[in-house]
Amino acid sequence: MAEKIKDAEDRLLESLFESPSLADDGFSTGVVRKIKRQLWIRRLTLPLAAMIGGVVAFKPLTSLATAISSFSSLIPQDLIGGAVSSIPQFQTIVLGAVLLVVGLVSVRMLEH
Amino acid sequence: MTSEDRDLVARAVSGQDTAAFGELIRRHQSHVRNFLRKLAGDYTLADDLAQDCFMHAWDKLQTYSGRGSFIGWLLKVAYTTFLQSKRKSKRYAEILESAGHAADQESRNIVEPNEEVTDLDKYLAVLTEEERAIMVMSYACGLSHREIGDATDMPVGTVKSVIFRGKEKIRNRFEIKDHKHG
Repeated sequence: MAEKIKDAEDRLLESLFESPSLADDGFSTGVVRKIKRQLWIRRLTLPLAAMIGGVVAFKPLTSLATAISSFSSLIPQDLIGGAVSSIPQFQTIVLGAVLLVVGLVSVRMLEH
Repeated sequence: MTSEDRDLVARAVSGQDTAAFGELIRRHQSHVRNFLRKLAGDYTLADDLAQDCFMHAWDKLQTYSGRGSFIGWLLKVAYTTFLQSKRKSKRYAEILESAGHAADQESRNIVEPNEEVTDLDKYLAVLTEEERAIMVMSYACGLSHREIGDATDMPVGTVKSVIFRGKEKIRNRFEIKDHKHG
C-alpha cells in the first residue's frame, strides 16, 4: 500500500518536473563552431610557439656551440689522438642534440 | 539509443570528429539545458552554462568509459560546470562587495523578476541546491539512483535519502497529494 502511494507520488513528481523538449535552434551548430575554432587555435599555437622559441634560442645556442668548439680546440692534440678527425664538429653535435630534443618535445606535445 | 551514443563518442574521440559530437549535442541539448535551467533559474545563464558544459565534455570525452549512460555522464559535466560557475560568481560577488558594490548582488537572484514563477519554481525553491540537482536528475531527466550517484559522486544510499528528504520537504510545504495535474 505504502509502496503504491509512493509510486503515485513519484508519477506526480515526474509530471511536475516534466519540461517540454527544447528546440536546438542553432545551439549545437554554435557549440561545434566554437569547438572547431578552439581546435584550430590549439593546432596553430604549438608549432607557432615552437618556431618562435627556435628563432629566439637559435642565436644563443650557436654562440654557445661556437664557444664550446673553440674550447675543444685548446685541448692538446696528443690527448685527443688521431680519432678526433673522424668525430663530427662539437657545434654540429650540440645543434643536432638540441634539434632532436626540440623535435621530440614538439611531437609529444602535438600528440597530446 | 545508448549504443548509437557510444558509436558517436568513439567517432568523436578517435578522429576528433566534430560532426559526430555535433550529433551528440543535438540529441542531448534539451535535457542538459532543461537541467541547467532548473538549477540556475535564469534561462540565459543556463544556456551559457550548457555551452560551457559541451565544451568541457568535448575536452574530457576520452574519460567517458561507456559504463553508464552518456546523458548521465553529460549531466555530471553539467553539474560540475554549474558548481564551478557558482563558485566563480560567489568569488566575484565577494570582490564587488569588498569594493563597495553590494547592491550589484541583488541583480543576481535565482529567478529573474521578469520571468514567470511556475509551480515547479516554488517547489524547487524549498530545496537545497544539492537536493534540487538530484531531484531534477531523478524526476526530470529520468536517471537511475546509480547514475545520479555517479554524476554527483555520492553513494546510492545517500542519493536515495536526499530524494526522500526532498520529497518530504515538497510534501510538507505544498501538500502535493491534492495537486491536480493533467
